[in-house]
Amino acid sequence: MKLWFKSGAPWVWMTAGAVSISLLSVIGLLLLIASRGLSFFWPSDIHQFEIANSSGETSVIIGEVYESEQVPTQRLITSGIEFDKEQGEFVERYLIKTGNREYVELDFQWILGPEIVKETRPSGIAVFERSKNGNFYGFVDSVIVDGKTIRENKEDALFAAIDRAVDLNDQALDLQNDEIGAINYQLEKLRLKERKLELKDELTDAALRDLENQRQALRDEYKVYEKELFAFRDEARRDSVIVKDMRGELVTLPIFYVLDVSFPNDMNFFEKVIQYGKQLGKFVSDDPREANTEGGVFPAIFGTVFMVLLMAVIVTPFGVVAAIYLHEYAGNNAVTKIIRISVINLAGVPSIVYGVFGLGFFVYMLGGSLDQLFYPEALPGPTFGTPGVIWSALTLAILTLPVVIVSTEEGLSRIPGSLRQGSLALGATKAETIWRIIIPMASPAIMTGLILAVARAAGEVAPLMLVGVVKMAPTLPIDGNFPYVHLDRKFMHLGFHIYDVGFQSPNVEAARPLVYATSFLLVTVIITLNITAIGIRNHLREKYKSLEH
Amino acid sequence: MISVAPDMSNKSSSNIDIDNLTKEQIALEIKNLNLFYGEKQALENISMVIPKGQVTAFIGPSGCGKSTLLRCMNRMNDLVDTCNIKGEILLHDQNIYDRSVDVASLRRKVGMVFQRPNPFPKSIYENVVYGLRLQGINDRRELDEVVEKSLTNAALWNEVKDRLHDSALGLSGGQQQRLVIARAIAIEPEVLLLDEPTSALDPISTLTIEELITELKDKYTVVIVTHNMQQAARVSDQTAFMYMGQLIEHSDTNALFTTPKMKKTEDYITGRYG
Repeated sequence: MKLWFKSGAPWVWMTAGAVSISLLSVIGLLLLIASRGLSFFWPSDIHQFEIANSSGETSVIIGEVYESEQVPTQRLITSGIEFDKEQGEFVERYLIKTGNREYVELDFQWILGPEIVKETRPSGIAVFERSKNGNFYGFVDSVIVDGKTIRENKEDALFAAIDRAVDLNDQALDLQNDEIGAINYQLEKLRLKERKLELKDELTDAALRDLENQRQALRDEYKVYEKELFAFRDEARRDSVIVKDMRGELVTLPIFYVLDVSFPNDMNFFEKVIQYGKQLGKFVSDDPREANTEGGVFPAIFGTVFMVLLMAVIVTPFGVVAAIYLHEYAGNNAVTKIIRISVINLAGVPSIVYGVFGLGFFVYMLGGSLDQLFYPEALPGPTFGTPGVIWSALTLAILTLPVVIVSTEEGLSRIPGSLRQGSLALGATKAETIWRIIIPMASPAIMTGLILAVARAAGEVAPLMLVGVVKMAPTLPIDGNFPYVHLDRKFMHLGFHIYDVGFQSPNVEAARPLVYATSFLLVTVIITLNITAIGIRNHLREKYKSLEH
Repeated sequence: MISVAPDMSNKSSSNIDIDNLTKEQIALEIKNLNLFYGEKQALENISMVIPKGQVTAFIGPSGCGKSTLLRCMNRMNDLVDTCNIKGEILLHDQNIYDRSVDVASLRRKVGMVFQRPNPFPKSIYENVVYGLRLQGINDRRELDEVVEKSLTNAALWNEVKDRLHDSALGLSGGQQQRLVIARAIAIEPEVLLLDEPTSALDPISTLTIEELITELKDKYTVVIVTHNMQQAARVSDQTAFMYMGQLIEHSDTNALFTTPKMKKTEDYITGRYG
């Protein structure tokens, strides 16, 4: 035994055990998020339950089984539920997503196992995905196309009608976002121009006439587009579908609101896989709908990536320059040591503190001054004096600055002195040596710093809530209107989206799988960013491989 | 240390008298040089001349200050914070420690090659033209010409002419050291300082470098520090023996190895210590 201790084997076991536990917990976490999040998009079967409750009333419930759990019978009995027969200690309880939000009280319903009389998965149940009021489940009765009722081949007619409406709606949306959006943007520009002239006391009659003419031209243009828009919408409103819902009533759904229809009970495995891919694609590429509980998260992905890249662009030069000064120029004395310790300690400051600092310093002081200097015409409405993507990027840049400085400095100190001397001996000045030899050789270390910075910044939410993130941003920070990149705009962020959907949503049950899906997406985005950076770093490492002495 | 009398047979004796040189024959003149690392004195009152167009070797036991003296000649010691220098080193009658001297341009005139090969992590081509690019020369044809000439002079051209744009780190140690020499002579220095250039190399590479040094002296003044007495005897025209920070003896290589004037020199070259 003593020999066994002496051999070091227990030490190996202990350290290896620690590694395994860490690995297992990371993998477990990822697997949990991935399975919960990704299974949400799988087109699961739609069940039809016939239910008889204790007082003998029967009803039919159609929907997806969301969750099932074991409930102690005693607890149900004390809460006033009576059972006909004697039950075991536990009773199975199911959460059913019934949809049809505007016709039933709740679109999620709990049913108890013993109440179920009959469970079937009838073919022909359609799932309608709608732009309003969530999903609708029911049997297609007939389709009304251009006033005519179609009962034969109704599926084909339905698909055709939906394709047509979706296409028209897309065209209307494009028109609204691009052409009409651009006109509104220009009108706002004209208003600011007028105000600017007014402030400068240069608002002559001629200028006023000119502005009015431009405005009139834009308004005329607007009217044309508006007519076109309404025409699209009217066209899209033409058709509707009649559906028999779970109460057995016929309901008319305007196809205008229908985004997609599927018949999960009639699908084979491959069709389900295709449908799954379609749903996943929509989640990644669509805008959110209905208070973020439906639709996709594209603006949040875009906002996260854009903000992180902007932060990387800001933090790298600052961090590298600071590290170079500390390592190459600053004397090795007490002041340098204090600065170095302070930099390292900055990394330990809670991130919300940075948020408060960003709000006070960047948004109010810097942004406020910018507004007064450059955008007086927009006042009192703020331009930069309000949370925005540039302030978020700057705040996170400060937050991650220590990481970049520390790892760059480490990289600088690893460069062999012989290379510096070699460069100096060829008549290079210190600055030339740093620029031509030291920085290229330290670039893998700089990338390491950047990787750590990106990993930290992409997951940070708390400070962003103060300096730029919003629940729903109407426009992306990049669009087709000059100057194309709008750094003053607010943006959406995956991290905040998770919080918002999970805890601020009006429909928590509907949102829960979305929380997992969005979390998984956030992790994926961070991993993608990191893998890209690691790829670049490995390439640089290969290129500037240190001399092997 | 090996105690053999160095082989002098193939040594061409220099025909200059280092005590009576004309101004044109002097490359560097060191006058009363004292050097301190903090409190410790590393060089004591060194005065000597480095003759032009000759190979001058410094020998002596480890820690005698020969490398330190070499590094004084292009002010590499400036990099050491605690280093304090008194005295003069004259290059063209100008004290290189004068305030008005631009260190970078001094180092262009006095090049240096270090103990271990230190090629930059760039291509062979970029290594050679590094000094030229620093001077703002970017003309492709001019650079190509210099690369070929320098590599040829460094006896490396034939080995690398087909892979000029490959990384310099892929070369062998001896090739790397010749590349570093090519890099140093690409900017046409007047004086080339070699700080134990073969101590990290194998015997065959050492031989190549030694042959190269003998050829280089036609164009450059070469100052070499070496541990290896045979090497000093083989490649140099002048030899200076240093001991404990002092210059003990400096004379014609033949004379120093065959008829040393000082007892310490004799003890050292016959291997009694060091």
